[in-house]
Amino acid sequence: MNRVLEKSVTGFSWICAMVLLGTVFCIVGYLLIKGLGTINITLIFGETDPKDALFFRKQVFDGLFPAILGTFALVVLSVSFAIPIGFAAGIYMAEYCRGIVKRIFSLFFDILAGIPSIVVGLFGFSVAIFLHNYFSSRIYPCLLISALSLAFLVLPYLIRTTQVSLENLPEDIRRTAPALGATKLQNIFHVLIPRSLSGIASGVILSIGRCAEDTAVIMLTGVVATAGVPKSVFSNYEALPFYIYYISSQYSDKQKLLSGYGAAIILLVICGLLFAIAFFIKHRLTYHVLYRP
Amino acid sequence: MKLIDHSIEKFFWIAAVLSLSITVLIFGFMVILGFPLFKGGQFFELLSQPWLPDYGTYGIYHMIVGTLSIAFIGLVFAFPLSLGCSAFISVLGPKRFGQILKKTVQMMTGIPTVIYGFVGIFLLVPIIRELFEHGSGMCILSASILLAILISPTMILFFSDSFDQVPKPFLDAVDALGGNKAQKILYVILPYSLRGVITGLVLALGRAMGDTMIALMVAGNAVALPDSVLDSARTLTAHIALIIAADFESLEFKTLFACGIILYLFTTFITLSVRSFDLMPWRRK
Amino acid sequence: MFFTDHELNFKGYNNRFMENKVKIKIDGLSFSYGEHPVLNNITARFSENTITAIVGPSGKGKTTFLMTLNRLWESIPEARIEGKVEIRFSDRFYNIYEPSYPLPRLRRLVGMVFQVPNPLPMSIYKNVGFPLKLAGLKDRNHISMKVETALKRAFLWEEVKDRLTDDALALSGGQQQRLCIARALILEPEILLLDEPTSSLDAGAGAVIEELLLSLKSRCTLLMVSHYLDQLKRIADTVMELSEGKFISGFAGDEKNIPPIPAAREGEK
Repeated sequence: MNRVLEKSVTGFSWICAMVLLGTVFCIVGYLLIKGLGTINITLIFGETDPKDALFFRKQVFDGLFPAILGTFALVVLSVSFAIPIGFAAGIYMAEYCRGIVKRIFSLFFDILAGIPSIVVGLFGFSVAIFLHNYFSSRIYPCLLISALSLAFLVLPYLIRTTQVSLENLPEDIRRTAPALGATKLQNIFHVLIPRSLSGIASGVILSIGRCAEDTAVIMLTGVVATAGVPKSVFSNYEALPFYIYYISSQYSDKQKLLSGYGAAIILLVICGLLFAIAFFIKHRLTYHVLYRP
Repeated sequence: MKLIDHSIEKFFWIAAVLSLSITVLIFGFMVILGFPLFKGGQFFELLSQPWLPDYGTYGIYHMIVGTLSIAFIGLVFAFPLSLGCSAFISVLGPKRFGQILKKTVQMMTGIPTVIYGFVGIFLLVPIIRELFEHGSGMCILSASILLAILISPTMILFFSDSFDQVPKPFLDAVDALGGNKAQKILYVILPYSLRGVITGLVLALGRAMGDTMIALMVAGNAVALPDSVLDSARTLTAHIALIIAADFESLEFKTLFACGIILYLFTTFITLSVRSFDLMPWRRK
Repeated sequence: MFFTDHELNFKGYNNRFMENKVKIKIDGLSFSYGEHPVLNNITARFSENTITAIVGPSGKGKTTFLMTLNRLWESIPEARIEGKVEIRFSDRFYNIYEPSYPLPRLRRLVGMVFQVPNPLPMSIYKNVGFPLKLAGLKDRNHISMKVETALKRAFLWEEVKDRLTDDALALSGGQQQRLCIARALILEPEILLLDEPTSSLDAGAGAVIEELLLSLKSRCTLLMVSHYLDQLKRIADTVMELSEGKFISGFAGDEKNIPPIPAAREGEK
């Protein structure tokens, strides 16, 4: 029996590897086959002249431009919210926190990390309604609310990456500046953070990716199918992932459907690019930090 | 100077507390907004009743079944696949090929779920429909398959890391005693990394239960209790996405908070389980 | 016994040692890690049922040399080997680098003990029985008999016979090393390679191991890397110094001419 098991284990692992590779190949290949043909200026800008669209002189009705812009605005906003809080909390966890207090914080952050995105979206929606009822009736689910909710989504991830990057620094690097008279804060800003930059940076990039690709949160907090370019943070907006979802359930003609494929490819490229950048930064910066004099 | 320092450090602390409170607030909002459900003692009824708006019953029992079945069946597909792939990457495959697979898997973690859903609708669903000639093809099976593809990369990387952490002296010992690669992984690496494997599995389960888009796009969203994997089903997550358009004040809407509470509790339970693994003395060294 | 044809004529060598048949034949062995040469055109002969000690400066290839005899270096990338290594099993010399010679078989006939004991994370009984499991042996009674025999030969039986199911990692350093020796012995290897077997142990534990190695001579041919001058005097039949990738000096015989070892390394570790 043992012999049979041993012999089949290798074969099994090969099959698994093939299945996985085959699956990825199929998915990406299918998208490319169906959608590559649609990638052109019309896909993005519709009937509108690109120059007019880029300078916001005219609205784009048939193109992905508003969605791309919406996703971009979303990412910028949410990351702007999440980074200061995430960094600060991560620094707190790594440098100022000990013992049972640290365990408790760590527990809550882990719980936050595990909450499904749709629940975070529901929370965001509830906050919007709450603010609507008690503060200003002009507040509805909008770009701002979505950005906040996405910030909540990536917050635990940013905290953890910052914390781990700082904690992984070797002891002797930690002790150098203090031995020369630096305060704790000076040590953090002048030595520790620069040295953990690669880990932190890759965490940021991956958070950006997470914000760009999420659909569940934005579905509940303000994204719509047609809104044009977002006029303000309090308005509705479009986003790429939602466009893809919307098209898949509501396509009116073949052309629309094909644009969905095109959008999928664009989203895939964006996420792939972000991922590659994160990977690159992690390795390049590590090289610089460890090997350059 | 000292005052600035002090304020900055205070800020760090505030940020941490703020983040912690968000975790609590999310749960709090669910409970407060769903409070009317508790008052009438209806909450527990909700959990065991079907969703029949026409009869005034807004039970989410069927959705709980939907979530659990898709998640578990997805894991049934994903777990062996992930074990096999990570064994391939760490030990059993040729080095070059293993690295290629690992890079591919790392890239896969960046693929958005909405893309899986999209490809699923137009590629997988018709296949399932033709193959089984039962229903529309939008069913538990389709969702489970896509979910398995979604969660496998993270599991594979997690397992692979666990395998790589087995101390080298053990591997040397097996080599010197004439063991081959299959024996190495079966008798030494796997038993040693057992805790890591279970942790990875549980984390993947949490991810599977929390996914929205795949279930929403591909599982059919029927409210009836599914009889087989080829039946359409609705998950708690998809339910939230579908009902969000309802009137905020209605009972219908309030059930969304019940869904939220259930999901929150499920995933918190999973987080706690994983953490407790770290505290259990599974191995002496 | 190490000798070049050249030295045979000079040293007038002892007939008594000729009686021990040659067990290992090495011809023109060269080894390099990528660009760095480690062993340089080595030719040597090792006699059966002897203990040969290999000494020399640290990091200059002693462990590598041992590994050429059980091909354990093959998992290291960019390692390259030239030359011929032949070992006599059942009265016939086999070129162990022949692609057709099965690796697991080689490693059962040529056992290895490492410098730092590496018991597997299992019970004592399972550790010693592990090679049998790898070889596919199933009979419980048979296994249990072999485990007991191996532990006795490793001078460990008395100390562990009542706690065979205990975790092997809980044993003391010396006991762990004897456990590893028992584990290496269970398949009854004809050659035993030991890489500084006592250097991680205290003097008392080391002495037990030395006695154990002497007792094994009748069953195996032992090759041992060591830094301990005294140890060499006590138990080695032959001493060979590996320097600059080659074996220099080292002779057997009643005189036990130990090659001069730089003072800095005496009593090291």
